[in-house]
Amino acid sequence: MRKQDNEHNIDEADIREARAKFLNHVFDEKTFTFTAEQFADYAIACGETASCYTDPKHPDFQASPGFPCSLHPSQRMPDGYPRFNGLGMDAGKAITVYQPIRPGVTLTGRTHIHDIYTKSGRSGRMVFSLIRMDIYDGENLLSSADTSIVIRERPAA
Amino acid sequence: MNIQVLSDVNFGEELPVFDPDTGIENVRRFCKAANWMGPRFTDHEAAKKEGLPGALVPGIMSQGFLAAMIHRWAPTGNIKHIDTVFRAPVIVDEHYHIKGVVTDIDEDSGQVEIDLTVVNDAGETRVFGTATVVLLQSA
Repeated sequence: MRKQDNEHNIDEADIREARAKFLNHVFDEKTFTFTAEQFADYAIACGETASCYTDPKHPDFQASPGFPCSLHPSQRMPDGYPRFNGLGMDAGKAITVYQPIRPGVTLTGRTHIHDIYTKSGRSGRMVFSLIRMDIYDGENLLSSADTSIVIRERPAA
Repeated sequence: MNIQVLSDVNFGEELPVFDPDTGIENVRRFCKAANWMGPRFTDHEAAKKEGLPGALVPGIMSQGFLAAMIHRWAPTGNIKHIDTVFRAPVIVDEHYHIKGVVTDIDEDSGQVEIDLTVVNDAGETRVFGTATVVLLQSA
């Protein structure tokens, strides 16, 4: 890879090298604890009506499914991750739910780069970095929250 | 009609449209609960200084609107997966409509696939996605 501290246009060899170096290595671990009020406010603001998400007194009260997508790791990208030349933006979020998240529980978020790939279209090439935070209660995996960051490549000068 | 069990669902069925509250006070409430109190989400003038057309509804809130629509349709539905793509900004205090259509029903697993969109009054899609929801096989 070329100098990592300078932005540069990327070729397929860069993608292969970045995949080999960064995929599936946990680069951040952070703990979180949330109150029932936070979960309920989040759900009510979204227009939820199911009481297991809005009423802390419900016997199955839990975070609404998308809540883990709101969690931020301590560092967004691993050290040394290439800075591609282009305009970056949040392209999407995905959540996979395995078990309910309860209030007052200490959660651990472990974050890794899950995929790196490119797409080409009429407006040029885009580089996607898929960042996954797995949310655990102890060793139990509760959910996986994905953030897709896209860099729309600037034409080479 | 609220969906209770898988046999209540029809392929191609459109979910009842949900018009969410995108007012600034509701977005601020959401941002406080989510620890996303950035001025680009909570203050129109601050967002405009960043070159945005106005304060933005956070993408995760749009995702929450999609989940809420599913639970309004199927209150006991268990959402296993939602994938959302942010195509264009959703602006605070503007009107949006949350829509969904059933695109697959798996009788064996009890899973339903739903295509989801957030559209504005002009009919433009701002956010789209898919969800996998598990429903009870029988009452």
